[in-house]
Amino acid sequence: MPGASVVNATARFALAAVAAAVLAHLAFISLAPSMMMAAAMERIGGANAWAHAPRVTEAARTIVRPSPDLAYSACVFDLSHGPVRIAAARWDAYMSLSLYDAQSDNFFVVSDMEAPDGFDVTVVRRARDAPDDAVNVVVSPSAKGVALVRRLAPTPDRFAAAERARADDICAPAQR
Amino acid sequence: MARRILFWGAAVLIGALIGAGSAWWTINRAGGWFDQSYGGGWRGNALAGSQAADPYTRAIVARSGLLALSARETIYFTLAQDAEGRPLDEACVYELSGGALPARWWSVTLYAPDKYLPQNNDRAFSIDATRAQPGADGRWRARISAGRGDAANWISSRAAHRGYSLTLRLYQPRQEAREHPDTIAFPELTALSCPEPVS
Repeated sequence: MPGASVVNATARFALAAVAAAVLAHLAFISLAPSMMMAAAMERIGGANAWAHAPRVTEAARTIVRPSPDLAYSACVFDLSHGPVRIAAARWDAYMSLSLYDAQSDNFFVVSDMEAPDGFDVTVVRRARDAPDDAVNVVVSPSAKGVALVRRLAPTPDRFAAAERARADDICAPAQR
Repeated sequence: MARRILFWGAAVLIGALIGAGSAWWTINRAGGWFDQSYGGGWRGNALAGSQAADPYTRAIVARSGLLALSARETIYFTLAQDAEGRPLDEACVYELSGGALPARWWSVTLYAPDKYLPQNNDRAFSIDATRAQPGADGRWRARISAGRGDAANWISSRAAHRGYSLTLRLYQPRQEAREHPDTIAFPELTALSCPEPVS
């Protein structure tokens, strides 16, 4: 019966297409955050060094909805050669440090409310990698990720002060 | 043989395109499914700043707010319409006013329809808690318009076109505001003048 074989072929075609669609859909959903993070890390550039963004103006077009009232500093940390120390000097207004893993999860956050004298953390891949003298050890779920410091600086004067404050911030391989 | 390869290849290709396309559509559009409406037309997103519990949440949050702060640090709200429900328009003059907000620090920033700051060099993108001086009635006011005029507090809408939006950030919000955003006394937007629409 030729009619039956056409139906058969159509059913097999549809089944294969549906299976491919489900797989592609799930793969896309699960890989998208890592791809977006990889693109963001590419834009920030470098590894284990702070990139201090200039004052946010109409020219800032790397990440949507940037706040013109904050001074942002970003660092791509890479733990593949050992722990990384992340330190940011104290600031006399709102300030926070957020750490994001390679698939975009925000796995750590601290603000000046908890740490008024500034931040100093050692990011490690495994707890046992931590140097003996490290105080605030944070275990990262991935070898690479992003550290982001925000300092409230709504005016040109305040931004200039934030630039001075952040000049000595550290994002570098930890001394062992 | 060649026909078989073509047959299965076409099936897999069509399926993969539908699968990837639907995934892309989901993470771009699904953010809106979690939007909630509050007083004065302000909208918030229940997913923003949340910890990803599943791949869908993670993908949607990454798309709409990559590197955003956790809800404990900041909650975000957006306003895209005036009191009459009309889209915000560069051609109009608005007054934004409000009282104290339940957070350590807050700001309201204007974003063009493309979600970036408008392409003007007025350096008047926002108002924040440190600059908003309350008047005798305890409320602060800011004018939103293409030109400053005599406004004490000004947010420039020059080059923001029609369809721009305002983002309210509450930094270190009080627990009540975080858990029950409907209790927040949101800033109010009033259209002072708007050209008659060309019909």
